[in-house]
This record gives sequence, C-alpha cells and structure tokens, in this order.
Amino acid sequence: MLYKTNAKSLLLTTAIVSWALLLLNILISAEAINQPGAVKISIPYINNFLIVIFIVSVFLYQRISSENLKGIDFITYLWTLFSKAGVAAYASLALFLGYRLTINYTNIDSPSLLHFVYQINFGLLVVFLAKSFYIWRQLLLYHKNKFLQIAWDWFELLIFGTLLLTLLNFNYTSYIFLPLLALLSFYILFLCTNLKWVAYLTFNNKSRSLVLLGAILLSCYIFINFFRQFADSPDLVIDYTDVGFLLLAMLFVGLYTLAAFLVSLFSLPTSSVFEQKSEDLLNFQRLSQSIQQGQSEAQVYDMLFESTIKASDASAAWFELIRNSEPQVTHLLSINAEQITRIRHLLLAYNIQNIDYINNNLDRNPGFRDLTLPWKSLIILPIKSKKHLSGVLYLLKDIEQGFDRETTNVLRTFTSQTILTIENLRLVTESLQNERYKEELKIATQVQESLIPKTFPTDSWFEIATHAVAAKEVGGDFYDFLQLSESRIAIIIGDVSGKGISAAFHMAQMKGIFHGLMQQDMPPSEFMKQANSALSRCLEKTSFITSALYIIDYRMKGFMFARAGHCHTLYYNSMMEDVFYFQTDGLGLGIIRDKSYNNHVREMYYDYNPNDVMVIYTDGIVEARSPDNDEYGEDRLKYMLTQTYHLEAEDIKCAIINDLEDFTGPGNLYDDQTLLVIKFKPTQPNE
Amino acid sequence: MKITQEIKDNTIVMTLDGELDASSSVILDEELSDPKIMEYTKILVDCENLNYISSAGLGVFISHLQRFEDAQIKLIFYNMQDKVRNVFEILGLDLLMTIVSDYEEARTVSNE
Repeated sequence: MLYKTNAKSLLLTTAIVSWALLLLNILISAEAINQPGAVKISIPYINNFLIVIFIVSVFLYQRISSENLKGIDFITYLWTLFSKAGVAAYASLALFLGYRLTINYTNIDSPSLLHFVYQINFGLLVVFLAKSFYIWRQLLLYHKNKFLQIAWDWFELLIFGTLLLTLLNFNYTSYIFLPLLALLSFYILFLCTNLKWVAYLTFNNKSRSLVLLGAILLSCYIFINFFRQFADSPDLVIDYTDVGFLLLAMLFVGLYTLAAFLVSLFSLPTSSVFEQKSEDLLNFQRLSQSIQQGQSEAQVYDMLFESTIKASDASAAWFELIRNSEPQVTHLLSINAEQITRIRHLLLAYNIQNIDYINNNLDRNPGFRDLTLPWKSLIILPIKSKKHLSGVLYLLKDIEQGFDRETTNVLRTFTSQTILTIENLRLVTESLQNERYKEELKIATQVQESLIPKTFPTDSWFEIATHAVAAKEVGGDFYDFLQLSESRIAIIIGDVSGKGISAAFHMAQMKGIFHGLMQQDMPPSEFMKQANSALSRCLEKTSFITSALYIIDYRMKGFMFARAGHCHTLYYNSMMEDVFYFQTDGLGLGIIRDKSYNNHVREMYYDYNPNDVMVIYTDGIVEARSPDNDEYGEDRLKYMLTQTYHLEAEDIKCAIINDLEDFTGPGNLYDDQTLLVIKFKPTQPNE
Repeated sequence: MKITQEIKDNTIVMTLDGELDASSSVILDEELSDPKIMEYTKILVDCENLNYISSAGLGVFISHLQRFEDAQIKLIFYNMQDKVRNVFEILGLDLLMTIVSDYEEARTVSNE
C-alpha cells in the first residue's frame, strides 16, 4: 500500500514536471520562431522524450489507481468515466473558446498563448485517454477467460511499444509502420467485441448508460476535432497528431465506447426479458433455499404466489389451500370472492377441478363468456405430489393467449419446486416427530425394565440367575416373583403373543393380575383360571398369553406348578441324575374365554432334591434361528443342561446363553428372550 | 407365505405354504374373515409346507375358532410338520383343534 502511494505520488510529480518542461520547451521554440533573427534551436528529441515520459507516467498512474471491479454496478463506472475523464473534453472546449474570444476582442495574436492552450489541451487529452483506457479495461475484462487476459496484455504491450516510434522520431505514416498500425487497429476491433457487462444492465440502467456513453462519445469527438484542426498547423512548433500512440488509444477508447453504445441501444428492447429471467432464477433460488432458512409452509406459498404472478405478469390470481380436503382461499390479487365462487362453480360444472388446465381464450367458451369476466386467459396449477394435494393456484390475464408455452413452463417449474419444498418441509417435521416417538419409546423401555425385578430375594436354599432381552424397544416377555410367606415364594414367567407396544401393555397387565391375585395366596391352577377370566375381558381377539406359575415351598422341599400354554419346564433331578421336560397339559390364557377353560389347566406337585436345577424360559430361546434358519430347539437346550447342571445357577445360565449366541450369530434377535435358572441348594436356613 | 384355496362342494381346502409370521398372518386373517367362507361347512387346512407358525399366526386361528364353532364349521388341520405340531401342543391347542395326519383322515373326520 505504501509502495503504491509512493509510486502514485512519484508518477504524479513526474507527469507534472515533464508536462511543465515540455511547455517551457515549446514556449521557447515558439518564441524562437517569432524572432526570425534568432538561432533556431530545434530539439525534437527532447520534446519527444518529454512527451513519452508524460504519457507513460499518466497512464501508469491511472493503471495503479484503477481498482478491481466490485459487484455489477456498471453505471457507477460509467459515471466515473464521464465525470473524471469526459469532462476534460468539455473543459478543453471551454478553454479553446475562451482563447478565441480573447483573441477576437483584444486582437492580440500571441503564439505563446496558442501554444499554452494547445499544451493544456494535450494534457487534458492524455488524462482523458488514460482514465477511459483503464476503466474500459476493467469492463472489457469482466467475466474474462485466460485467452482474453493474454490478448489484453499483448495489446497493452504493443500499444505502449508504439511510443518507441515517437521516441525515435519515426513517422508512423511511413510505409513500413502503416501496415503494423493497421493490424493493431484490427486487434482493437477484436477487443471491442468483449462487452459482456452490457448484458447485466437492467432496462433503466441501459437508458442511463446510453446518455453517459453518448456524452463520452461527444468528448472523443471534441478532442479529435480539436487536434485535427491544428494538425500540420504552421503556427505551432509541435503537432501531437504525430504521436501514434495517442491515435491508437483514441481509436480504442472511441471504438469501445461506440460499441458499448450500440450494443446497449440494440439490446434495450430485449433487456426486460433478461431481467424477468434473472428474477425467475432468483425466485427459484429463494424457494429452494426456504428449507434451510427454516421457513414455514405459509411463507413458501407466499413466495409461490408472488413469484408466479411476476413470472407470468398475471392481472389477477388467487390461491386455495386444501385443508382437510376443503379448499380455503388464502391469497387474492385483483379478484373478489364472488368472482371466485362463480368461476369455481363453472369449473365444477365442467368437472375440471384441481387438475392442470389452461384456457387461453375464455371468450370462446360459452360458460366463461356468460360470467362476463374482465379476463381472457386462465391457468390452473395444482400443487400436487403423488398422493397429496396441498393447494391450487389460479392465474388470470386480461389478454388472449396470455399463457404461452414458455410462461407455462416457468410456472410449472415454480409449482414443482414448491411441491418439492413443501414435501421436504413435511419430511423435516415428520422426522422431528419420529425423534420424539423414539424418545418416548426410550421412556417406555425404561418403564418396562422397572417392571421386571432385578434382584430376587437372596436365600441360602436356592440360587436364581436371570437373562432377559427384548427384540424391540419394548417386549412381551416377563417374569416376576412374590414372597408368599417366610418359606414360600411364587415365581411367574409369561409371554404375550406378538411383540412391541401392544405386547408390552398386556405384559404390564399380566404383572398387575399376578400381584393382585397372588396376594390372596391361591394354588397355581386357580390362579390360571382367574387370570384367564380376567384377561378374557381385556385382551384383543387375536392375542393370548402363555404363562407358568411355580410356588416353591422350601420347608416342604417341593414346588407346585401350573402351565398355561407356556414352554415346558426343563428339569435336572440330581437323585436320578436325569434331565427331562415336565410334560403337562395346559392351555394358553385368552384362547378360550369362558368357564370351559377350567378343564384345560392342570396342576402338578414335585418334590425337589438338593442340587436339582430348574430351567424356565420363553419360546424366544427355543425358537431362536441360526443363519441357516435352523431352530435352537428343546433338544439342544436339554443337552446344554446335561453338560452344565453341576455348575452354579449363574454359570449354567451363561453357558446356555453363550451357546445360544454361538448358534444364532450376532445381531440375529427376532423375538424376546427370557431365561431363568433356579438351582436348589443343600443347606437349609434357620435349622 | 402363500395361501391357496380350493373349493370342493361344501369344503374349502386351504394350503399354507411357507412361514406364518406377523406379516403373513394378516393375509390369513383377511382370508378367514371373508363372509363367503361361512357358506361352507368344512375348512381343511393343509400344513405340509407350513414351516413355521408364530404366535400371531396362532392368534388368527384362535380368534376365528369360536366363530367357526358357533357356525358349526369344522376346522381341520392335516399333514402338519412335527415342529409346528409341537407349537400347537405346547399351547394346548391340540385339545381344542382337530389335527390329523393326512388328507384322507381329514375327510373322514370332517364327515363324521
């Protein structure tokens, strides 16, 4: 930055000094001409050298001063061009006229004054050219590609190269250089075709830019005219038209200004189309981004309504939101409720409701003609996804053929984008809802876990080990216990048909029934009968519950049990060293819902020995599947107990579960699994 | 799960093919709920290719059991695989429902 400021002030000083020296030199030369006797000191090389220094310093100063384009506010650049450069021409004109007037009134023909004016105008010309040269560069290189950048760099290099001609005092009009200069002119013509920025001007901006460009063109004309007037003038010691560089720079500035002027002028009629297109694009963007911006459905419809009216230039419109399959007018434009009702009735009569419909000549249709509406074209656009109709948009225009294919396509794109946005908004809402359900299921899981006892009463006469997993968040398996008296404990296991929430509800019900009924201390078969009767009233038709209830009496060293359709109990008898299933009859609960159930339940009493093992489980264990779709089965379970009965209850359970997991493989849980292992111990407490 | 029906006079022979799980039991429930089924007096269920029955599948049969009994429609299962039969037995359904070994026996039982 400091370097730039320093460079700028250095260049500025150089420019001023070189210009002043040039002036001085010219004035001296002019005086010399006036005095015929004096020695003619002609030093063109010094003049040329000073001219080049001046031109180069002014151009470099402008080059450094020019900033990068910011945004697409091209009018500001044009205004800068006019106000800072174009004005120079008018100043030079004023100066020249002032000079003429002075001469006419005072009749003093002073060559020094003429040279002075000429020299000032030269300075103004160079400033004008440098300023416009670099402003045009910025605009020319707008949306540039690599090729254009290289082309420009070469152009700059070549045009500065022509300064050498001046420096060495070559006449550029000589045959050697003329073709070269002509080639350079063609190069300029090619560069003048890069006018991409004009396309970004809106209609209003184009009109304004035409005025500004016209004024700049006029500036060019003034300068050209002024210097042509004095070309080869015998009154002057110097002629700046000899400087080829200035001619080329003027050619570039003038041509580019002319090209911009003409392109702006001829693209004026089409600019409104481009404006509309770019606005459509912006509106599409707004619609598609409305999800990220957290906008509601209502805001999306607002956007749709506004955008489609703008895009189609509709003279009237309304939008109906379909709520609970009832249309409800939410947006209105230049139409009243009564007209809407009449149009709707007519559409209903024609059976063209909520479908894509275009009528570009309403007067040709007798039904619409009778309505005497002020409109002549109608388009109906339903906002409809595959299964859901969200709303219907009606657009009306007061001219025939109002909705051509192009407009219709744009409108359809708007509606499909809206549909997409609305669907996405709903999906977002739904996923939030799902998130909430998941949270509630988590709570349900916790509640259910609290329903299953974690710890059994620890007693020295038996050990118990438990295992329970649910296939889903909540399950239908359950077990529980109740200490009936000091020496008696009731243990229940059960499985509600089905899985998930409904099973979990029935499981909780069953727990309630167990605790309610067993407070009265009844035998297992009686419990099953009463539980069946209770469940008959509340279980839905296709549901049933299997259960088994054991009442263990350690003082009697025996247990009483009843099975209601539940899996057979696996037992190890240490006296006989035998592992077997208790084969008892018993119908599941809720299958027969009347008194006849009483005939379907049996009770059994069994004396246990120390070290006997009882394995109670649900069908999730024996019906577990391997990857090859084989069932785990009762036989494998029985075999496992024959291998492990000598272990502690906890170890037996672990061995069975490990074997089961080996069998099914990981992540292969389709049903709730519950397993209880009870081992009777030889030591008797309190005796 | 594939369920096919074959009608012979006053008898429907229903063939179950595959696994009767929670989703396929819905189809079975629809078939058994069809009011036309009440026009027949016998429903013979061929279980030869029934590889698995879930509690939901059992629930469907249980829920229609009383209705068929009231309408004096005989529901007879035959050709049942051992493991499926075991599921029926554990639940105690073998005492409520008629399960026979083959089609001939099913016809004989249904004509009693």
